Amino acid sequence: MDSKLLLSVDIGSTYAKGGLFALEGEELRLVAREVRPTTVDDLARVFGEVREAVLAGRTGGLPASGIPVYWSSSARGGLKIAAVGLTPDLTLSVARMAATSAGGKVVRAFSYELSAEDLAELRSVEPDIILFTGGTDGGNSRVVLHNAAALAGLDSPAVILYAGNRKVRERVVGILGDRAAATADNVMPEVGTIDIEPAREVIRRIFLERIVDGKGLSSVVAAVGREPLPTPLAVFELVRTIAERVPGWEEFALIDMGGATTDFYSHAKSFRGGGSVILRGLLEPTLKRTVEGDLGLRVSAEALFRSEAAFLEGRLRESGRGIEGLKAYVAEVSRGTEYLPDDEEGRGYDHLLAAACVRAAALRHAGILQRVFTPQGGFLVQRGKDLRQVRRLIGSGGYLAAATDPAILLEACAPRSDDPDTRHLVPGSPACYADAQYLIPLLGNLAADFPGAAARAAVAGLKPLTPGRLEKEPS
Amino acid sequence: MDAPRIVLGVIGADCHSVGNKILEAFFAEAGFHVVNLGVMVSQDEFLDAAIESNADAIFVSSLYGHGLIDCEGLREKAVERGLDKIVLYVGGNLVVGKTPFEEVERRFKEMGFDRVFRPTVDLAEVADLLRRDLEALKKD
Repeated sequence: MDSKLLLSVDIGSTYAKGGLFALEGEELRLVAREVRPTTVDDLARVFGEVREAVLAGRTGGLPASGIPVYWSSSARGGLKIAAVGLTPDLTLSVARMAATSAGGKVVRAFSYELSAEDLAELRSVEPDIILFTGGTDGGNSRVVLHNAAALAGLDSPAVILYAGNRKVRERVVGILGDRAAATADNVMPEVGTIDIEPAREVIRRIFLERIVDGKGLSSVVAAVGREPLPTPLAVFELVRTIAERVPGWEEFALIDMGGATTDFYSHAKSFRGGGSVILRGLLEPTLKRTVEGDLGLRVSAEALFRSEAAFLEGRLRESGRGIEGLKAYVAEVSRGTEYLPDDEEGRGYDHLLAAACVRAAALRHAGILQRVFTPQGGFLVQRGKDLRQVRRLIGSGGYLAAATDPAILLEACAPRSDDPDTRHLVPGSPACYADAQYLIPLLGNLAADFPGAAARAAVAGLKPLTPGRLEKEPS
Repeated sequence: MDAPRIVLGVIGADCHSVGNKILEAFFAEAGFHVVNLGVMVSQDEFLDAAIESNADAIFVSSLYGHGLIDCEGLREKAVERGLDKIVLYVGGNLVVGKTPFEEVERRFKEMGFDRVFRPTVDLAEVADLLRRDLEALKKD
């Protein structure tokens, strides 16, 4: 059979992974994979090492340069985006959605008029892109023009992307003047209407044209002749491709948990309606990503310990333990971020921290359903996204990729509300899978050019964790 | 001149949706730019939508008799959030019982609503009044 070799590399902030795939007809087959630690100051060298290791003796006599390379990077902080909106619940909320869907991490978010203090903070978080929104088309211009003037005077190399009220776009561009600026269609053209695709596309372009260089990636671009994707964007596109191309995978979720952040991706219809269910707030997109900067096992362990203290304490109490031991463990691992526990106690603590990340990431990603009593009878009010129809759940990233038991992923389904009239719309009882070979980002890189093959290979490469539900379709 | 922009919705825990759809259809047809928030709308949702869309007026509907408590403080909150010139109209079955309309009207006007309407009002009349009120505001 005709076979063509393809190399995919993902340069993460701590590890760089490479995979060699053979394209045989309509299918992709993994030939080899390798992992090397990332040395942040010389990404071209890391790239070279991974490529050499993956290709060693496997190219069938082809020179390395004859094998097409697809790659992504999340090194050097990934793609950092600051979001500026008008009201927190409308344009700012949509701006966050656009930023995370484009593979970015929202480093800071601002609403209403930017103050001098806001601007100082905006400068100090050193964003790569400032996503500047506000107003519906033909709507608010006063705050938008005020913020344009404020941003025009900002001393920061960040690219400003204006995706607010279209009626004042030209004036905004005029005010921003010489500043590096780009524009996209309004992320919220009407109240409640979300249109984030145009902004997403421009963010992707800005990443390629203006940011790759600053991340030290241009030497790699020169060597391989192809631009990289931000890693989360590669994953986002793969999630879309799997849902569109693999039967039985129309509604699923993926949790990517690392040392610093936990990313939650879902592909599911956001609101199903039904007789007495009323949606309040924004109708969220079918494909959604959230990224939690305070949920992680190492770099973010201290932040996790603070934000999920009640849950952690409760779990420890159930097994008759106090919080002191965990506190000491957290202090240790957040300093030595490469640390891997070698005893039962440490593994137990890692499991507990992982459970807290999975649970909190699911709670924040999913919406809620509340029973309300009105003079016309009982109604259900939904806010946010309904994940109850999610039938399959994938764990990716170091800890979850190594899972051998679905229990850790099922933490995403456990959260119950203290209020009997409120229900978290987390997945019901999904079949669980581990991305055991860490192929998700690697196949994400190939999803644009080989969508069907990449999607099928990603699903085939998963390790099923739920016994008895391995092969058959969930009913 | 651009079409006047209005935000519509049924306030509080009120789920009456038929009248709301009629208002939307009527005012869109009458040349207004309508942002319809539907039923069970909170005060903050009205104000967020009015800020983002630079609305000239907010039309609050209330059909279930709890209008007084739901609408209290809306004017103050609008002023606090920078909407100091927004026109506020309210209409529907605003209070439970047989309170005379004049009494209902007085209480809603005290709360800062510019106009108060009975459920039987002719919508063409409301549209005319709004155009006039907006003209008057411009002259101020």
